[in-house]
Amino acid sequence: MTPNRFRPHVMVLPEDRANSEVANGFLLDPSLAPRSVQVLAEAGGWTKVLDRFETDHIVEMQKYTQRHMVLLFDFDGQENRLADARNRIPPHLAERVFVIGSLTEPEELRHATGLSPEKIGLELAKDCREDTALVWGHDLLKHNAGELVRMRERVRPILFPAPLTA
Amino acid sequence: MYHVAVIRRLYVNNYRCLQNFDLPIAGMPSALLIGKNGAGKTTVGSALEILQKIARGTNRVGELVKPKDFTRGITDVPMRFEVEVELNKEIYGYVLAFELPEKFKELRVLEEKLTVEGKAVYTREVAQVHLAKWDQDKIADFVIDWHLVALPIIQLFSPDDPISVFKQWLAQMLILRPIPPLIRGESNEGTLQPNRTVTDLGAWFTGLLASAPSAYGEVDDYLKQVMPDLKDIRNPLVGVESRNMVFQFATEQGSFAIPCEDLSDGEKCFVVCALVLAANSSYGPLVCFWDEPDNYLSLDEVGLFVSALRRGFQSGGQLIATSHNPEAIRKFSGENTFALYRNSHLEPTVVRLLGELQINGDLVESLARGDLWP
Repeated sequence: MTPNRFRPHVMVLPEDRANSEVANGFLLDPSLAPRSVQVLAEAGGWTKVLDRFETDHIVEMQKYTQRHMVLLFDFDGQENRLADARNRIPPHLAERVFVIGSLTEPEELRHATGLSPEKIGLELAKDCREDTALVWGHDLLKHNAGELVRMRERVRPILFPAPLTA
Repeated sequence: MYHVAVIRRLYVNNYRCLQNFDLPIAGMPSALLIGKNGAGKTTVGSALEILQKIARGTNRVGELVKPKDFTRGITDVPMRFEVEVELNKEIYGYVLAFELPEKFKELRVLEEKLTVEGKAVYTREVAQVHLAKWDQDKIADFVIDWHLVALPIIQLFSPDDPISVFKQWLAQMLILRPIPPLIRGESNEGTLQPNRTVTDLGAWFTGLLASAPSAYGEVDDYLKQVMPDLKDIRNPLVGVESRNMVFQFATEQGSFAIPCEDLSDGEKCFVVCALVLAANSSYGPLVCFWDEPDNYLSLDEVGLFVSALRRGFQSGGQLIATSHNPEAIRKFSGENTFALYRNSHLEPTVVRLLGELQINGDLVESLARGDLWP
């Protein structure tokens, strides 16, 4: 029995292995609600993330109204990629779909932070859990601020339902 | 509180396909071994199981290794096992080497040594054992049968006897390859040391609850996540000293009791997983080697199962898994996945950290094509 499809849950669709490894690290947070999130197989490119979202997930999201999706890909230095991506999300699903990623590539984020991909994921989870922005505020991630505001409201209660730590 | 109990390094030489084999897993709460059939993944577990059996009391060399276990029959080089463990903030090192002199039918101990922080607790050459000065214990020299491993039979009088600490930890190491069709819930006594196939699941459950009654909560929590209609687990007496696990399920339509042996194979694996997680929390931190934990699971469960296991060992203990399953492989990363390969049955296992390999495109597709291996 997968994350209960009739309860609020999150599915992460990563672009590639590097993004998938960051997501793997996020899943290791000890406070993460069990079975609240599932990381799907990597799509193989940012355009393929959007293609797969359109072909596989729009119909499913309409069927399962508690499903939230995080599209995880690199922005390759183009901040307007967020707008491009959001244009392909049907308006009636827009509230439940989030587009985030590194401004360049996770490899650069790895060098800049000195952390392995899984450690980055763990730190990002900790930021979410504790409502901080130690890693999310990094130059290569801060462009996600708008999406993070939405995720704080919609996704965080699913992933970390326990009261926030002081 | 964060308790470390991890293997930093496992070195094996001249044992089956493992020649000069070094598995550097320091600082990894969880690691994955991947590789083709016959690459040596399960043999790594067998090497660990030899050390575990010693700590559990098997010290007759002939019951641990056989002459056929020498790599390709090479008997003029010792068979060697070395493990370095971080335990209670100290580094324990254990070395054990066997040899097979001419005209011997059974291997004998060539060398044995236990160190803590580099300081010898005892050393041994063939039959001669030298016990170093430790706390109030005095130096001692004695001989033992060279067909017996010394670790299970030496004891110090120190209150924190490092031999006991190491032995207890090693004995509780979990080496698992469950065979669900053989798993039943009966037990005549409790244990904290389940066997490899977990056919003593009932005894493990009984021992776990006797050791830490609060462990029931963790077992119950996990199983209710994967089987939401589970109401409770019972382990009633069914004889003078025997118990039998029964799983009670309930929905709005009513309730139904299923004995452990009648659970599905995958559901039995859920129970094993629940016990692993609860054991690590309650009497760990433990090292758990699980050979193909994805076996018997439905595809939609594999990733969640592996992630739950990894999360359970993140704050203490160490999980070492093997897998051929794409979903399981995806739940690990280049920093903690080791690729094992052999060119032929005549050549030894080679191990590389996946993150150091050049992978073109999708890892799973590369594995499916067989292109990952040189």
